[in-house]
Amino acid sequence: MNPTTPHAPKRPTYRLLWISIAVLFASVFAFRTAIAAQDPAADPASIRSSWEVLGVWVAAFLTLGIFSFLYKDNPLYKVCESLFVGTSAAYYMVNAFWTSLVPKLIAPLAPGFTKAYLLPDFIPSGEPWAALALALVPLALGVLLLCRLLPKAGWISVWTLAFIIGTTAGMRLTASIESDIMAQAAAASQPLYAVDPQTHSIDWATMLAGVVGVVGVLSVLTYFFFSVEHKGAVGATARLGIWFLMITFGASFGLTVMGRITLLSQRFEFLFKDWLGIL
Amino acid sequence: MLQRTIPIAILSISGIVLVLAYFSPFTQSWGEQAVDWFNIIAGIAYILGGGNLLRVNLEKISAQRPGWAYAAITVAAFVAMLGFGLLKLGAVPSEKYPDVHFAGDYESNSAPYGWMYWNVISPLGATMFAMLAFYVASAAFRAFRAKNLESVLLLGTAFIVLLSATAAGAYLTGWIPADSAVGFMRAERLRTMITEVVQTAGMRAIGIGIAIGVVALSVRLILGIDRSYLSKDGGAA
Amino acid sequence: MSEPLLVRLGRIDRRWIFLAMALSIIVPMLLKVRFPEIPQPMARATFEAIERVPEGSRVLIAFDYDPASQGELQPMANAIVHHCASRGHKMVFMTLWPFGGPLAERTIDDILLAYHPGYKYGIDYAELGFQPGNEGVVKLMSTNIPKQFPTDKRGTPLAQVPLLADLADTTGFKLVVSISAGYPGAKEWVQYANGPAPEAFTFVSGTTGVQAAQLLPYYPAQMEGMLLAVKGAAEYETIVEEKYPPPQHPERIGDGRVRMGPQLVAHVLMIVLIVLGNLSMAAGRTRGGMR
Repeated sequence: MNPTTPHAPKRPTYRLLWISIAVLFASVFAFRTAIAAQDPAADPASIRSSWEVLGVWVAAFLTLGIFSFLYKDNPLYKVCESLFVGTSAAYYMVNAFWTSLVPKLIAPLAPGFTKAYLLPDFIPSGEPWAALALALVPLALGVLLLCRLLPKAGWISVWTLAFIIGTTAGMRLTASIESDIMAQAAAASQPLYAVDPQTHSIDWATMLAGVVGVVGVLSVLTYFFFSVEHKGAVGATARLGIWFLMITFGASFGLTVMGRITLLSQRFEFLFKDWLGIL
Repeated sequence: MLQRTIPIAILSISGIVLVLAYFSPFTQSWGEQAVDWFNIIAGIAYILGGGNLLRVNLEKISAQRPGWAYAAITVAAFVAMLGFGLLKLGAVPSEKYPDVHFAGDYESNSAPYGWMYWNVISPLGATMFAMLAFYVASAAFRAFRAKNLESVLLLGTAFIVLLSATAAGAYLTGWIPADSAVGFMRAERLRTMITEVVQTAGMRAIGIGIAIGVVALSVRLILGIDRSYLSKDGGAA
Repeated sequence: MSEPLLVRLGRIDRRWIFLAMALSIIVPMLLKVRFPEIPQPMARATFEAIERVPEGSRVLIAFDYDPASQGELQPMANAIVHHCASRGHKMVFMTLWPFGGPLAERTIDDILLAYHPGYKYGIDYAELGFQPGNEGVVKLMSTNIPKQFPTDKRGTPLAQVPLLADLADTTGFKLVVSISAGYPGAKEWVQYANGPAPEAFTFVSGTTGVQAAQLLPYYPAQMEGMLLAVKGAAEYETIVEEKYPPPQHPERIGDGRVRMGPQLVAHVLMIVLIVLGNLSMAAGRTRGGMR
């Protein structure tokens, strides 16, 4: 043996992982079988078909496969990940085909075929040639987009991309001005003096909220205005804006944590309720 | 001309049509037609995505690169789902048109496509996002440091929101009389003040800033000033 | 000199933290820890906004989420559908997310038809389904729904569905609800549907914790009600159940409150972790200063 040859790294066998999974699933199967033998009505699976029961077991296996990544990256997790990528990509395609391409593209291009084989309730347009002409435009742009898959003809897809970007820019230009600038400026213009309509006394809570709201919006906008150096009064206002932002992000963090924990909670509910049947 | 002038013209015309459609009822139908085409092309873009996935993974399998077995699983899952969905294999026949195969319901729980949605896609997607809870906890332990006033403000607010969102907040501050001068210190009041006043103000300013940026970028794109979407020699004029 | 415990704690293997997080949810879940929910102003505002819509109105419910956000949003979806059906509203279901369709179907089966078996398809409720295009769908719906949806989800032309036959655009609805997990979602509904016609319909949304901050500026001027994450869902469930008790399977509009039990322990754990992490950092600094 050459003493200078480095030893090849030992391939991990994940033996512990496979044994754990096998033991876990065998235990759960035995547990569920025991419950069903004692009292069939107590077993939630008793009201499910075999197809559904198999589905619950597959879902549980895949759930635990994803969770196994928490311990260490392993082949089971990679298999689950690959499954997810493949099935969800196909799901997107199928959904788009049946919901959009069939009624809006194939139907005007081949109305007879569509009515006979795809959408029996389809009512052909009263102006079939106009419908056909209008459908040719997205068909052509779509074919150009698909040319992106071709190494030499991929450049032509930029025509369709230009259409997508132009339409998006046109939509967002007006929507942003209306909903996110004008409406927000109006909403930010809170009354700085408020009177309770019932008691006719100063409503300090509403006043304070209004003042804080206006000051908050202006100070944060000042912080993001980099064309003027943040010194003096501008600097002090920007500093106040940072404090508002810190409170904003702290609250956002709290809400995000709450959301993530809920998602985890729902997965454990599935495992304990639908799979193990102990909840 | 084909690679620069025509795309710039297409972008400008489509953008201008949408803007005109907003302001004038006479051009509204043009805008509707453009958006309808946009939505159809969005559907075709999903096909492009699927096709690209297939190409990348088949290349990996044929070149036998490391991890090619996982690529094979991806392709197999993709083809299976596509078969069940596009060809409606195993779909529940339509009650109204039992003889028309493609009128069947492929999303039903009894059909393979629906079964795979509920028992493969749904648990995998939900679990992937659920994992984030663990990483948030780990990141909070390792990275969230109160080193200065700003970080103390951030963490303090986070603590208030976390506690007041649960019964812990009510337990800790429930003894404070609601009508008293310090009634605002009750957990639910603090949370309301933080979310509906301070957080709203901060997010409003951020939203206005983003909207101004969107407007500026949209105008630059429509006028042909920004050409970064072009593949070569793009960039601003 | 051995390191203090706090300093060693700072280098703990993160898998112990993962285990602590898992146990903080599993233990209260198995012990069925529950707490009463006191509805707050936002949840009340959402309830009142839907209550103000005249009984029997046509409403649009958009299931703009996927299974990844089901934990947070399904409870509010269930409660909203039950609330609307209890008011006798005619419901039109749709989704902007490809994965949202089956979620809407399941809600219809588990809540609408289970609690209100008198509801008939085409007359009392209908499904438009999914269409690709994100904000383009909302934009086109705001002016021309038949062009965006030539058929309903079952392939029937809109003109042949009584509930949808006279539907021209989104102003044909008295209420629009977006149960939203991100993009596209409630923000797009505000921008493209509510923006051009702010007085035409009432708009409320339910949102995840992650997206909630982004939508806060729209409340209450452009969005009359908003349910924030599972907390909002739990509060809203409380109000709905009090006024409209479900006829059977009450647990189906109780998931939000069920999930709030483990939330408390997990939130306390998060706070403890942050405090411990800071104490560990401080201990490490002090130790370094003493050398």
